[in-house]
Amino acid sequence: MSSPAARRERALLLMGLPALLLLGVLFAWPVLRLLSMSVEDGSLEHLQRAVLDDLYLAVLFDSLKIAGFVTVICLVIAYPLAFWLSRASKIGLALGMFALLLPFWTSVLVRTYAWMVLLGRSGVINRMLRDWGLIESPLPLLHNLGGVLIGMVHVLLPYMVLPIYAALLRIDPDLPRAAEGLGAPRSAIFRRVILPLSLPGVAAGCALVFVLSLGFFITPALLGGGRVIMIAMLIEQQVRELLDWPFAAALSVVLLAVTLAIYAAINRLTKGARLAS
Amino acid sequence: MSRILGRRPLLLAGGGLAGLAHPAIVGAQTTPPKPDRIVVNASGGAMNSIFRRSYFAAFEREHGIRVVDTSPVDFGKLRAMVESGNPEWTCTEIGGQDAVRAKEMNLLEPIDASVVDRSDYPDIARDSHILTASAYSTALGYRTDVFRDGSQPKGWAEFWDVRRFPGPRSLRNHPADNLEFALLADGVPMDQIYPIDLDRAFRSLDRIRPHITVWWSTGAQPAQLLVDREVVLASGWNGRFYELTRRGAPVATDFTGGSLKSGAFAIPRGTRQAYWGQRFLSVMTRPELQAIYTTEMGYPGLNRRTMDHVPAELHPLMCTAPENLEKQFWLNVDWWTANAAMAQERWNRWMLRR
Repeated sequence: MSSPAARRERALLLMGLPALLLLGVLFAWPVLRLLSMSVEDGSLEHLQRAVLDDLYLAVLFDSLKIAGFVTVICLVIAYPLAFWLSRASKIGLALGMFALLLPFWTSVLVRTYAWMVLLGRSGVINRMLRDWGLIESPLPLLHNLGGVLIGMVHVLLPYMVLPIYAALLRIDPDLPRAAEGLGAPRSAIFRRVILPLSLPGVAAGCALVFVLSLGFFITPALLGGGRVIMIAMLIEQQVRELLDWPFAAALSVVLLAVTLAIYAAINRLTKGARLAS
Repeated sequence: MSRILGRRPLLLAGGGLAGLAHPAIVGAQTTPPKPDRIVVNASGGAMNSIFRRSYFAAFEREHGIRVVDTSPVDFGKLRAMVESGNPEWTCTEIGGQDAVRAKEMNLLEPIDASVVDRSDYPDIARDSHILTASAYSTALGYRTDVFRDGSQPKGWAEFWDVRRFPGPRSLRNHPADNLEFALLADGVPMDQIYPIDLDRAFRSLDRIRPHITVWWSTGAQPAQLLVDREVVLASGWNGRFYELTRRGAPVATDFTGGSLKSGAFAIPRGTRQAYWGQRFLSVMTRPELQAIYTTEMGYPGLNRRTMDHVPAELHPLMCTAPENLEKQFWLNVDWWTANAAMAQERWNRWMLRR
């Protein structure tokens, strides 16, 4: 005899089973195999090299820094945009979403080359600024960290906007109305009602963007002019060019561990924030 | 979702049937039965469309087997395929440096000399497992409107000389070629490059480093950078510059100090249609077909008679033209096979140092 609640739980589990199986076979199993490769023949040598060598540490640190920059820039652009979308008219919403999602259907490589055309020394932006007499010599927009950030933010922005937009929509419209009725100024309504309630969306967006940033390698390779090295680029090099799979696996393990740790930290922070509000 | 899942058993059943047919092929001494298609993996882009017009078309016409092309060339994927025991590719292009390693790692089928006739090939291009398909060079591309009437830098010592030849430059973000160029720039004679003195090479690279605007990472980049005037000098695959020159862009190639290598094709070990792979390679050795590829891409095929079929005015643009050949060196594949990982790590370290 089982209680209705237990039966419901079992039914839910059963419904989730195909997805779990798919994930297990196509994702978890290959990942586990990759991880086990890093300790091939019981030696920790590859992991040691990945953790202790200053080259890989420096690149990992740089990657975290870049991922952090991208996340902050995305957040600064995405929050007002999501706020506007959550209050926009039907037409405004449709246009906004279209503009936001359009790049989704274009390959990252094509978009990256498009940025090269726009940002180059004699690219569209520099030529325009020069024609308007705003600059004398071209601005270095490309082949540096700035170019990489622009390219990555462009690709990742939707991942920040959508969770925040969803969180904003979920806020009961009666809450800000009640605050207004009680005489709260608009800034206070935003600060004390809307912002705290949208934090879960912000956290989800930040986690998504940060984690995805860490895996980028084509965009930084092309827009960074070789000066920006991210850890995923080194992993790709080990896998495809040098065929040192155990070491590639070791680098992946380190990246995965750092990513999970940061993800856990973000989760804990938002939980704390939610309890506090 | 349900549609995708519904198709899966069908695919599995198809694979099982083909697997059953396999022993019969091996057992037979006569020509193996024809599959409906073979898969040829190559670099993609313009190259695959020229392949379609030349080698693919000829193979399909003669054997009635469809050629499906995939891309890009991927050493890691080749290894994963062979080790999984069921390579998807019937033939694959493979980088010259990687080909030797692939052979050493036992990833390739031996070439059947009774099917693939290479009597018109130079001796060095008759490897037991690798079909040397064409030669190419990493050479110096330059803007002809900046360096007029042959005033371009000739060789890497002049490329390094930023006072006499000012302007933004680009080199590849990779140790191969660049270490050699750095030594040449530092005065090492062409026949004494190997074994590479890494300390000397990196010291030489230190000097040019502040003047490199872009360290490129894909073959399309240097061509694009020159066309956009992002740089006025760049190292690059000679075929990329050749294409620009032929299309009338103000870009030309200087071969002095160029690094010659060969592009190769091979059959992944254990591929199901290995016999038809040999047949395909045999089609690839034909001079009149190689000439189509050579004319379009600027990468000359290695059959001695190929150039007879290429318009004479294009001969001087080829990296294998006698007057160009003597200005260049052959990249030492053995040195790179032994030292690639070490050189790459040192390169990464050097790039990271700001």
